[in-house]
Amino acid sequence: MTCDSVAKLIPLYFYGELMPEDEDRLEEHLHGCAGCAREMERQRAMAAALDRCQAQAPPMLLQACRADLLAAIQGGAPRPEMPAKGPWTLFLEALAATLSGFHRYRTPVGAVALVAVGFFAARFTAGLPASSLSPAGEVFSTVRSVQPDNSGRVQIAFDETRRRVLSGPTGDRDIQRLLLAAAREDNPAVRVESVGLLTSRADSAEVRDALLNAVARDSNAGVRLKALDVLKPLAGDPQVRKTLAQVLLADDNPAVRMQVVDLLVLHRDDSMVGVLQNLVQTEDNNYVRLKCEKALKDMNASIGTF
Amino acid sequence: MAQDAAGAVAAPLIPPIDSLIRAAQRGDQDAFEQLVRAHDQSVLRLAMNLLRSPEDARDVYQEAFLRVYRNLHSFRFDCSFHTWLYRIVTNICLDQLRKRRVRKEESAVVETPEGPLDRMEAFEQEAAHANPERTVWNRQLNQRIEQALHGLTPRERMVFELRHYHGLRLRNIGDLLGTTEEASKNCLFRATRKMRAVLGDCV
Repeated sequence: MTCDSVAKLIPLYFYGELMPEDEDRLEEHLHGCAGCAREMERQRAMAAALDRCQAQAPPMLLQACRADLLAAIQGGAPRPEMPAKGPWTLFLEALAATLSGFHRYRTPVGAVALVAVGFFAARFTAGLPASSLSPAGEVFSTVRSVQPDNSGRVQIAFDETRRRVLSGPTGDRDIQRLLLAAAREDNPAVRVESVGLLTSRADSAEVRDALLNAVARDSNAGVRLKALDVLKPLAGDPQVRKTLAQVLLADDNPAVRMQVVDLLVLHRDDSMVGVLQNLVQTEDNNYVRLKCEKALKDMNASIGTF
Repeated sequence: MAQDAAGAVAAPLIPPIDSLIRAAQRGDQDAFEQLVRAHDQSVLRLAMNLLRSPEDARDVYQEAFLRVYRNLHSFRFDCSFHTWLYRIVTNICLDQLRKRRVRKEESAVVETPEGPLDRMEAFEQEAAHANPERTVWNRQLNQRIEQALHGLTPRERMVFELRHYHGLRLRNIGDLLGTTEEASKNCLFRATRKMRAVLGDCV
């Protein structure tokens, strides 16, 4: 291997893009060639300098982008084309219409029922301290691919999901882990229930982060309100307050903003004056604005920013 | 047993992107919003790092996700959603970079809703506020890096960005950009060589 060929391979080596045999040959060369070893060091130094110079998006840019997108979609972006409905879809829709009000929750209802079975079972089986697992239940399969070959055989790839029920006290470590996972599920009803049950360990960093994530990012206002409720005992925590201040200025739901103001004013904090003053200027909901004005008055702060 | 039990049921709880896509394809707005939120931070980071302008990054974000919204019905799961999305985003960013090269406009100050913003202040810096010499050195290094990045062609810039900052393999980058792994390797090599030439003794 010559120094010229090594020079071309150094960036690929640095990014782990060489074949193992080329890596070995290059490393052997670097051991015996001080010039190429220096080149390698310069490559590392440049990469480190570039790492330190990543562009940083201004705070709230992400929220502004999300708001733009939502406005564009709701304000007239062309709707996605809908695929033609099959008989099964039409049947489900007819069923959903019959169970008016429940159609959004046909899957969540099943999931919540499972969680409920677990917790009620725990309640009526006092004396069983740890969580317990039911035997393996039904198996649900989802076919991912079907590949026939020329010999008349076919290869089918499928995922299997096995339904199980775990029951135990809400403070149990495994139950809490499942609740944390359930707080990210796509069914809002499951998220609401799960977030509400994280109360017993709200002071742990993992649970607190999950709650803050729900407050700041969950698309469902019911989940956000529930998470705010659980965060109440932590309303004095600086990280919590920082997130709440961001939510106050970005959330589009007045009930959420009202509850955030309630949490923020539980602890006197002069750094919140500016946030509340900003909100008073921009808030279009009378109740929220009045609440902010009252909070500012209680803090002996002026209503306007001047 | 409980620990095994939790492990045994952990797999089905992984965020189901495929089911979100299918729900969004059926017109579920909530699912579409969740799909966006699962990917939009990395999209914004890519746009911000490539274009170095919050306003341009905001435009890319909007354009990219509106294209996703309009065309999601045609997504057939032939590739991962991530790959499909990144094809859209990289195309938009490449167009922006090419237009910018034609216009040759690179003002150091951009207007933002929060007021004028110096691009250089949008870069992360080491905590060197207490050391003026270090601050000056960092500023010079940032300027050199900015100069080095502007010396790259849009495609070199894109390959370097995706490999260095986003950790994508060159084979995948080739796939995203509609080219070969070999062509991506050559791009990465040229990008590195050009930047090393501009940065000189700074690193």
